Amino acid sequence: MNQERKRLDPRRPFLLNPAGLRRIILGATGGFDASLLAAPAHKPAAKPLRLHGDPAGYLLAAAHSQRGMLDAHAHQAIAAAALLATPQQAVAVLVFGSLNEDLRAYGADLVAVLPGADELGFAPEQELAWLDEFVTRYAPAHVFMPDNETGDGDLGRRLAVQLEAEVATHVVELKPGAVAMYWQGGAALARGPMPLVVLIAPDVVETSLPFSGAGETVAPPAAQAPPGPYQNRGLREIAASALALEEADFIVAAGNGVADIPTLEAVAAAFGAAVGASRVAVDEGKFTRDKQIGATGKTVSASTYLAVGISGAVQHLQGIKACRHVIAINCDASAPITKRADLSIVGDAQEVMTALLAGLAQRNWPDTARESV
Amino acid sequence: MMPPQLKIAALVSVGRNPASGAPRAARNDVLALDAALGLAREVSVLHAGDAAPALHDYLAYGAASVEVLPLPPGADALAPLAGRVAGYDLILCGQRAEAGQGSGMLAYRLAKALNMPVVSAALEISLLGDEVEIVQFLPKGQRRVVRVSLPAVIALHPLAPRNPRYVYASRRAGRLLSAPAQVGAPLPASPWQSEPAVKKPQKLKPPETRQGHARLLGAIATESKGGALVREGSAAEKARAILDYLRANRLIGF
Ligand SMILES: Cc1cc2nc3c(=O)[nH]c(=O)nc-3n(C[C@H](O)[C@H](O)[C@H](O)COP(=O)(O)OP(=O)(O)OC[C@H]3O[C@@H](n4cnc5c(N)ncnc54)[C@H](O)[C@@H]3O)c2cc1C
Ligand SMILES: Nc1ncnc2c1ncn2[C@@H]1O[C@H](COP(=O)(O)O)[C@@H](O)[C@H]1O
Repeated sequence: MNQERKRLDPRRPFLLNPAGLRRIILGATGGFDASLLAAPAHKPAAKPLRLHGDPAGYLLAAAHSQRGMLDAHAHQAIAAAALLATPQQAVAVLVFGSLNEDLRAYGADLVAVLPGADELGFAPEQELAWLDEFVTRYAPAHVFMPDNETGDGDLGRRLAVQLEAEVATHVVELKPGAVAMYWQGGAALARGPMPLVVLIAPDVVETSLPFSGAGETVAPPAAQAPPGPYQNRGLREIAASALALEEADFIVAAGNGVADIPTLEAVAAAFGAAVGASRVAVDEGKFTRDKQIGATGKTVSASTYLAVGISGAVQHLQGIKACRHVIAINCDASAPITKRADLSIVGDAQEVMTALLAGLAQRNWPDTARESV
Repeated sequence: MMPPQLKIAALVSVGRNPASGAPRAARNDVLALDAALGLAREVSVLHAGDAAPALHDYLAYGAASVEVLPLPPGADALAPLAGRVAGYDLILCGQRAEAGQGSGMLAYRLAKALNMPVVSAALEISLLGDEVEIVQFLPKGQRRVVRVSLPAVIALHPLAPRNPRYVYASRRAGRLLSAPAQVGAPLPASPWQSEPAVKKPQKLKPPETRQGHARLLGAIATESKGGALVREGSAAEKARAILDYLRANRLIGF
């Protein structure tokens, strides 16, 4: 009775489909073939284009970039336009300042970049002339801008008065054709029809979209404003050590993996950075409570966050959500911070910090390099 | 310090205590008033609306008097204010009102109506002849110095480093002055409907079209990027990797 039973090989060859599901290759026998796994494993499928064919109208988004990138708030303004556009409307984006990132993920169909617009400069009349020309070119149904303090809130308001257009500021809720914002200092919520100029508050739009924009580059506006009453006399930077952590642009943060605090402080000083800490480091008395970053500490929004000997617990990561570039130094390659970090250095904190100091000292960099005129 | 003939106005609105809702002097407008008093001894302090008791707070903060320009309730304050401050050299206001719409548009609309330049987010203001120099707030510890020619409208940032003092005796000494009523234009019907803010506003999201398994995967797998990992090499090479990254992204200026 001992018949030869056909047995299934649990390691039959299979393929992973784009959704990550195993698909057995029928008829194939033999062991696991790694080459089949190669490409699709965890790569997300390319997202479909939102817009098909020629557009029949436009929605605009405009924002200032910093160091070649738009911030999350600006991404939200573009995503708002993409989410509210009808299937025939294209999303045109005007970026003030250089741009080194791909805006398709946020739904941008047409992108015009004004690299000449100094990101921290002040030329309201010139910028208004450019924006006005862009608006004239596309005759959009709505213009979305982040209502921020880095120039877009100011420019959007100038646009609204120049065009004598209806405007909604600090918009906290967007729906097709309607917006809502707080009145009476937050006690009342006012709803109304969506005006031409929509200045949105931060975090009111989801930016992970199921579709992609066409991302075509178009010519930037070329208008030249005559010299006006405004003069930019340059920037002043406040020393990082004198700045509250929430306002700092570069933070060096220490965790439980840092034993030698003076070295860390020297690294921070060399970068002109503010010093932060994880809760464990604060609890041990190495830092004062006002240095704690995280759920029960401060929420920071630095461009650069150097995490030294920090494991990256969720409570800590919560405080650095808004940080653009996270660099981690940790001896454990599997610490959760490495998933958040843009660059993870696996190694001993003390050694890497010492080497960093040596590297910084070697270069004969001027003390004033970070102080713009 | 400055030629005395400059005409400076401070625009003040009725504020609102965020916790109790009680009317009070608006914080930003107190800063505007204090900045104006720092530039000139005589300042026209103007309010469009009712002679509300909260306006007495501005007397305590140093206004000799507050001139109240009558306004039908809910009407636009722009027209009476623009009419009153025409011919002024410097008009200071708060960046954003605490009551009403609080859109932060007034300075811009006033500047347009009077054909003047406007600068917002002002922290410090100093007069230099026929120009005014303004230190502007920018996030992340940056400050920008801007000059504009007079006349100009300037909106004060909430973080302006001023220290206005509340003096009860001046509150008693000052007065509210009522300007003669103007015939206001009838109000256009407002398309805005306001309701008590009890519900949290909804975030604008793409419609959920994924089903079953895909949704589950989406819920557990966050789109975490997980950047480059440097394991190998000496400490010096690792330090170099950090510096290279910072330089490549223009995060350091050296
Ligand atoms: C309700 C609640 C609220 C909290 N709020 C906060 C908060 O606001 N902020 C906060 O930070 N935490 C908070 N925590 C604590 C949080 O959960 C973590 O315990 C904490 O962030 C861990 O700090 P750490 O990464 O410095 O220490 P650890 O978790 O001990 O991690 C140390 C890391 O350093 C590495 N390391 C060790 N030695 C070296 C070396 N020589 N060289 C290089 N790397 C080394 C290790 O590999 C490890 O990854 C909260 C916790 C709770 C329960
Ligand atoms: N009715 C008013 N009378 C005088 N000044 C006002 C009035 N309303 C607003 N302002 C000024 O304009 C600033 C900005 O207001 P808003 O644009 O409404 O946010 C306020 O901080 C005040 O300085």
